Amino acid sequence: MEKFLDFIVRAGSLDRRVIFVVIALAVMLPLFFPLGLPIRPTNSSQQVYDVVEELEAGDKALLSFEYGPSTKPEIHPMAVALLRHLLSKDVKVYITCLWPDGQFMALEALEQVADKQYGKVYGEDYVLLGYRPGAEAIIKGLVSNIRKVFTVDSQGDFLDDIPMMAGVNQVKDFDFLFSASAGYPGTVEWVQYAADPVGVTMSTGTTSIQVNEVMPYVQSGQIKGILGGMPGAAEYESLIGQAGIGTSGMDAQSVAHIVIVAFIIFGNISFFIERRRSKKY
Amino acid sequence: MNGSEIFGAWVAVFLTLGIFSYLYKDNPFYKIAEHVFVGVSAGYWMAMAFWTQVQPNLFGRLWPTPEGEISGFMLKAWYGIYNFFGFILPSVFPNGGIDKGHGHDPHFIYLLPFALGILMLLSVSSKWSWMARLGIAYTVGMAAGLRAYAFLNSNVLGQIKGTAVSFVDMPLFSLTGVSVFNNLIILVGTITGLLYFYFSKEHKGAFGKVTRVGIYFLMVSFGASFGFAVMGRISLLIGRFTDLISYGSETYHYASIWVLVLMIVLLTVWTIKGDKKATG
Repeated sequence: MEKFLDFIVRAGSLDRRVIFVVIALAVMLPLFFPLGLPIRPTNSSQQVYDVVEELEAGDKALLSFEYGPSTKPEIHPMAVALLRHLLSKDVKVYITCLWPDGQFMALEALEQVADKQYGKVYGEDYVLLGYRPGAEAIIKGLVSNIRKVFTVDSQGDFLDDIPMMAGVNQVKDFDFLFSASAGYPGTVEWVQYAADPVGVTMSTGTTSIQVNEVMPYVQSGQIKGILGGMPGAAEYESLIGQAGIGTSGMDAQSVAHIVIVAFIIFGNISFFIERRRSKKY
Repeated sequence: MNGSEIFGAWVAVFLTLGIFSYLYKDNPFYKIAEHVFVGVSAGYWMAMAFWTQVQPNLFGRLWPTPEGEISGFMLKAWYGIYNFFGFILPSVFPNGGIDKGHGHDPHFIYLLPFALGILMLLSVSSKWSWMARLGIAYTVGMAAGLRAYAFLNSNVLGQIKGTAVSFVDMPLFSLTGVSVFNNLIILVGTITGLLYFYFSKEHKGAFGKVTRVGIYFLMVSFGASFGFAVMGRISLLIGRFTDLISYGSETYHYASIWVLVLMIVLLTVWTIKGDKKATG
């Protein structure tokens, strides 16, 4: 028994590089050999799905892309899944970006979903308004008059020349608002400056780290559901019945979590054994 | 797959593995990746801000494409300044004005933010840096005014409404939906959590016991935050590994494998050399 405890104590002071290698293997192996673990949608993901499901053909959805390459693995799958859901229902999609990189993410998602998968027409089924710096000031501008902020879209076409922009002047003209957000400016600002004052139905997809910050708005009903990180994306993919990057990453995510939890438990046991021994002597 | 895409993949692999190499120890690969990242980020942000905001929204409003012939001494002088800038920087000030959908008449009110912006740039001069405060003061004032109402409405009133929970016409206990039990937890957690931050009274006796409950709620919240943070980091790691795996394919000429092998060899050589120097 004492030898076993000695082993645990020694293992507790393991070289951190060994831990890195173990985590790397825990992530990498399921990517090569998928386990096919089941994905069960949570209430908050189901809520987002239900809100989108209630939209009808011709309804207008405003999507805001506020993430970049650094958070792409978490947010991009949910943005793609949401686009699939909206465009499959023939909802008109309007895209803005509060982050400069968001425009590239939006272009990538639109090419994959709107162009290649559904063959939608730019300017009639979807429009990419593009990026404007200014954070909450931009949201305020969109609430009062879209054309004050965007005179041209991302391609340089005047808004008045785009068919689907006819009759769209303010945020309140939209039936649904979705913020794919990785931080500031993002979900919180959309709630504070658009969804709450205007009363437009809003859902969001955020990075895992933001979930705790945004969850109070979901609990209070200010936001209708939240897709939290890669699991949120995987859940949404399972809800729309189209597996994507989120689903393929969930096996690795689950295994890595088990390994991390095991390390935490192991480290704690080692700590308590050492503390007990130091008290003894 | 064209050459530029393959080259981009090789660069991405090098930078990714360069950053990862720090986990072994600080080394030149990490330094290169770090400096490239900082430099590219700064350049990218500056170019992006200039071409998406300053040029179209500021200069585009100050010197929009005029309708027809420019008449009047003032306008001619104004566009004379523009033409002078256009001679120096034709890409920023194209011939005939900037057409970004801001009408045809100059919006002279935008001279104010233009001036404030220039004043902010004076912060680099120790003699004139005080003038930068005007721009900063405007920005701070505007942000405070903009945020005050929004915070009050969404974070104070909205959250108070959200915390005003019901205890009737609902199940006693539910794991997935609303219930008396869940609402009780929200009520107790909110009140005890708020009381913990009340420092005008010493946390002793009954009050101390209540605030201790508040601490437990806060600890659960921090634990959840940490869990989500770990989940986020693992997601990003999965994203990088997914890219590395795809860049390790024949399509990209096994970029990941070649770069990884090369890095391991060089790091090993440097480590051995370093050890020899230390012992020699």
